[in-house]
Amino acid sequence: MNEKDLEIRLAVKEDRNYWVKWLAEKNILRWCPMCNEMEIEDAVRVYESYIPLKAIWTITLNGAPCGYANLYIQQFKKIAHQCLFSIIIAPELRGKGIGTFVMKELMRLAKENFHIEQLHLEVYEGNPAKHLYDRLGFKQYGVQKHFLKEGDKYVDKILMMKLL
Amino acid sequence: MAKSEPNGFDVRYTHEKDIRSLQQWLSHKEVEKWFVTANEQEDILLCKNWISYAKYKSSLTATIFDQPVGIASLFLMPYRKTAHESMFYLVVDPKHWRKGVGFFLMKNLLNLAQNYFKLENVYCEIFEGCPIEGLLEQYKFEKFATQEKYIKQQDNSYLARILYQHFFK
Repeated sequence: MNEKDLEIRLAVKEDRNYWVKWLAEKNILRWCPMCNEMEIEDAVRVYESYIPLKAIWTITLNGAPCGYANLYIQQFKKIAHQCLFSIIIAPELRGKGIGTFVMKELMRLAKENFHIEQLHLEVYEGNPAKHLYDRLGFKQYGVQKHFLKEGDKYVDKILMMKLL
Repeated sequence: MAKSEPNGFDVRYTHEKDIRSLQQWLSHKEVEKWFVTANEQEDILLCKNWISYAKYKSSLTATIFDQPVGIASLFLMPYRKTAHESMFYLVVDPKHWRKGVGFFLMKNLLNLAQNYFKLENVYCEIFEGCPIEGLLEQYKFEKFATQEKYIKQQDNSYLARILYQHFFK
């Protein structure tokens, strides 16, 4: 895959159908706190609230949406210099370097558009995306035990950050 | 030595009208410095969100002779996979600090979390230097994360965010 075929643009309301579709994929949903259609809809409403703030983007490959990236911009001044984020790459396009492209663009946009000094993230134990964050220099600063519960099984949440 | 409750102390569910007390306490400089808010407008935003948990009966107000002196609330989680835990916020009227209000409010909140909401753990975030740290240690909370440079103060210095968790079983 050529990086020239990838683009990042501001998300629009119509992109929500892709978010719903991706989040409903088993391989994505297992790494999210949501577990059903209603909870996915709830999460998508949160994503939509970042459209007017210009803090959510759609990634396209040859013009077709293949992922999204969201900065959870803070409304409180004391914490506006740092930001939690989330990204999703369409499962069928994983392992092609799209995640690296998205993360580099997201770090640039966070710095240039929002003067973000620190990006941080939450990733669940066992999620292969952690390798990407490790490679990009994100450092683990904590682990929240038993964050997710599915039946009688628990999954820990790993907290990571990077100064930009 | 066992602590005793302050004279006239009681705990009840939070009423929405308690937002006035909450806002007043948060506007106090010594309180506001330990929260994410920095001005009146931000205090209002935080208080509105905070007090909204009153309708779920996951928020408790401590009173002394019927006057609110502290509020502690479970910010219940919206998703099923995380419904076994909750973050909480706690604040005490600065006029009533060092009287045991925080200690007894926390005791009641933990009881509400464990016995009414059947939670398995609760957690909270505090900022470096916050005096509530001693109270968390008394209740055997365990530190699980320290995020440097989380708060940026007016003078451009930073404070870390420290996360604590308490398991009921």
